[in-house]
Amino acid sequence: MPRPQRSPITFTIDGRDVVAPEGTMLADAAKVGDVEIPVFCYEPKLGAPVGACRMCLVEVEGIPKLQTACSTPVKDGMVVNTTAPKVKAAQESVLEFLLVNHPLDCPVCDKGGECPLQDISYGWGRGLSRVAEPKRHFTKPLELSPLIAIDRERCILCYRCVRFSQEVAEDHQLVFLERGADTYVGTFDSHPYVAPFSGNIIELCPVGALTSRPYRFRARPWDIEGGGTVCTLCPGQCNVTHTVRDERVLRTLSRENDAVDDGWLCDKGRFSYQAATAPERLQQPLVRDADGNLQPASWDDALDRAASILRASGERTAAIAGGRTLNEEGYLLQRLLRDQLSSPHLESRIAPGPSRELLAALHAPALQATVPDLEFAHHVLLLDIEPQEAAPILELRLRKGARRLGTKLSVAGPRPSALDPRAQHVLRYAPGGNEGFLKALAAALEGGDVSGPAAAAGIDAAAVSGLADTLKAAGEDRVILYSDALLSGPGADESARALLRIAAALSLSGEDGAGSGGAGLLGIPATTNGRGLREAGVLPDAGPGLRAVAHPGRDLPGIAEGLAGSELDALIALGVDPIADLQGRAAWRQALGASHLIAVSSFLTEGVAGYAAVVFPQEAPAEQEGTLTHPDGRVQRARPAVRRPDGIRSGWWVLAQLAARLGDRTTLHTAGMAFAELTAEVPFLAGLTLDEIGGKGVRWPTLAEAATWPKGTTDLEPQTDATVVPPANGALRLARQSSPWRIPEVAASKALRFLVPSADARLAPADAERLGITEGSPVALSVDGTEISATARLDSRIPAGTVVAQAGVPGGGADELGGAAAGGIGLVEVRSA
Amino acid sequence: MTPAPEHDSYFIERGPEPGGTGAVGRAFGETLRGLKTTFGRLVEGPTTVQYPEEKIPVYPRFRGRHRLHRFEDTGLEKCVGCSLCAAACPADCIRVVAAENTPDHRVSGGERYAAVYEINMSRCIFCGYCELACPFDAITMGNDFELADYTRSDLIFTKEMLLAEPLERTPLRAEGE
Repeated sequence: MPRPQRSPITFTIDGRDVVAPEGTMLADAAKVGDVEIPVFCYEPKLGAPVGACRMCLVEVEGIPKLQTACSTPVKDGMVVNTTAPKVKAAQESVLEFLLVNHPLDCPVCDKGGECPLQDISYGWGRGLSRVAEPKRHFTKPLELSPLIAIDRERCILCYRCVRFSQEVAEDHQLVFLERGADTYVGTFDSHPYVAPFSGNIIELCPVGALTSRPYRFRARPWDIEGGGTVCTLCPGQCNVTHTVRDERVLRTLSRENDAVDDGWLCDKGRFSYQAATAPERLQQPLVRDADGNLQPASWDDALDRAASILRASGERTAAIAGGRTLNEEGYLLQRLLRDQLSSPHLESRIAPGPSRELLAALHAPALQATVPDLEFAHHVLLLDIEPQEAAPILELRLRKGARRLGTKLSVAGPRPSALDPRAQHVLRYAPGGNEGFLKALAAALEGGDVSGPAAAAGIDAAAVSGLADTLKAAGEDRVILYSDALLSGPGADESARALLRIAAALSLSGEDGAGSGGAGLLGIPATTNGRGLREAGVLPDAGPGLRAVAHPGRDLPGIAEGLAGSELDALIALGVDPIADLQGRAAWRQALGASHLIAVSSFLTEGVAGYAAVVFPQEAPAEQEGTLTHPDGRVQRARPAVRRPDGIRSGWWVLAQLAARLGDRTTLHTAGMAFAELTAEVPFLAGLTLDEIGGKGVRWPTLAEAATWPKGTTDLEPQTDATVVPPANGALRLARQSSPWRIPEVAASKALRFLVPSADARLAPADAERLGITEGSPVALSVDGTEISATARLDSRIPAGTVVAQAGVPGGGADELGGAAAGGIGLVEVRSA
Repeated sequence: MTPAPEHDSYFIERGPEPGGTGAVGRAFGETLRGLKTTFGRLVEGPTTVQYPEEKIPVYPRFRGRHRLHRFEDTGLEKCVGCSLCAAACPADCIRVVAAENTPDHRVSGGERYAAVYEINMSRCIFCGYCELACPFDAITMGNDFELADYTRSDLIFTKEMLLAEPLERTPLRAEGE
């Protein structure tokens, strides 16, 4: 869908001629002419204006009554007056009315000092109130949710929070209750407002009615300073500003970047800053002593110990990077392994993925869709991705496009998604049927045999053909949003080829293959900087810049196998816990038990606490310095908002020190030097400087250097038939659900702890009835002798024959189920416990 | 008679020429004139105040060490920890960390109270802006000026010190005195 083009028009405001884009609202256009019109309810991010607060009344020549500037589009030749006595009288009256019931408790109100109502009263109010009557009273403050406090006396009924809930997040929880002066914001039956994006209403509220409970009374605006950086907790990489007081992050606010986050944040990004000051966070290096206990050690001792382990293991070393690892750290890690230890065994994905040539083709600049493309596309196809889990902020973008611009969505995957109600097509194939489904869709688009691969994926061929017809008929801007999970497991290469054939059939890279304005593929990796780590060379078969390497290393199962056997001796885990984060827990327990683990971690998760020989403490997100790459190719800067605690050092420093102890002669003194070395090695980042990246980031696919991106494979013909998903035969097919709240930072944040997922197993009511399972009853799931317990949840959106089990819960959950299920295709016995 | 000066000329009055017969008398006379002041003060007696045994009373509006106040009836602190004093302070010597009152731990009259309230007296310039900024009359300037101490850290006054009844060390000048 082409982006709206607005031609400039000239209008007059307060006697001045101003040029503004046609159709912008007067309240925005006035700013071009340096005129400020006060507003409370108007917020362009929330969509169409409602004109609820009447604060923005202005006089427009030719219209007898005053007009609301927030909902009046500018037209050529319009003459606007914001200083007429009539306007002044209206502004004063509106403020006087708003203050009739607003308590004057600014000294105790958290909004005091950064409050639009204070500012506007000061700037446009009359300074005196003629109202001597008692004010309206509510009980205060109340918990709207464990994260948000509501003070209804302060509410001016501007509608912003309600509009956010109804029209942006579309969780439909907040409503206005009662009528007239008794109106108040609330939820049905006073249920707590718990939603993935609930924290945004705190930032939206123009008064102190909605305040953050974790930030309650912590600081006032003049006590604090802001530190702008990037949230490193998920691949969404929203831009944030941390509120800092006394070298402590006290609050996280969004730092609007239209190309990344559109000014919103999810609750994980907004509240998990508390994890940095949690008592369980590691504050110094740990070394395992002779008795097998982790003991605090000095940095020198820990580095020496790690270096001696690596010296002994040499080329029998493997390394896995993940979590919050930055580009520089990834680059130094692969250099440490490839140059100092001569080992090729590197991985940055959580499951084996497509080969180098296929990755090069999938991420080719011409085929790359951007985040704003999701909004302006004609049709967005979501493949095996639940945005709420993968990168929550994308869900708001997809909803925005679908609601305001009529972008069509289609969802295909083994599990139900929160976007299903918005989707034109909802296709549910069997867990593990990725390859079959992609082949079926490719065949449907190319005119081949659909029924064979569709049957292999356990999906109706007609449904696939219907989706293909819709995609063909949709406008040219078609975007495919997919997750790493779509292209992982044994059939990853075949799936990737099929996906590339789909992209070619839909000519997503333009008619001439040189890229098209708004179409493409957007793959969301499983870890925050998954894309950056791939491009920095943390892959078994690719070096920096995704260049080919002479001797490819082992993939993840290969590394686990090697560690468990005698082929590999040591593993470096950078920001990742092999047991908690990777698939196949039993195999990794065995692997770590038989080898030396050097971990860089913030928390003592299972693998780190149980197996690590040396643990280096990791920086918190607000302390990190370096660059990271957004899934759409935007290189962004993480800048430290607070000082690191004394016992903690940067990841790049640890790697540089290890390399130096192993004979590396280069010296690194700053993260910037590490970035310079990275750009020297990666051709498509050549010449990029930190200054150019700045606060908003730079998309490297738009740079001239993008031409040096390696050529991907052109041989897309299927080489095998689609793997057939085994029939259920009374058992159920296992699909994993990975909650966005599974990361240790959430469990360590006092405010967010209540969101840590519980072990749920969701299954279709038909299956539940057959197995004699009722809602909320305990069930046991078993695969090949491994058994986990869970709570049954009946969900009619799940197709019969599938059970969706929660992964990443305390005690393991679905992650514990190993065997064939680890690869994605597995049958699980479910019985009432 | 002094002639009126022209607009571009000035009349300069000169002293007597040095030397000559009148010089001795003039020198002796001037010395006597100076000695008159000396002996006059000698008779008046000493005006030195024997501080610290003796103190000059300060005026009621003298701005000395701050005091924090409680409500007389309930005993709750007046300060709600709003930090406006810290915002007003030009020397940046006030630090306030607020906390929330709970039903079983009520410290102040409002929703919040000052968990930490510190004034660094070695930085304070005693301008009284904090008193002016305070919306609850919780902080006022007292009249104590004897704040010297041996270490700088002892000059950081905590909330407990500021709330405590100060020692009556400085006499106050009575109304109209």
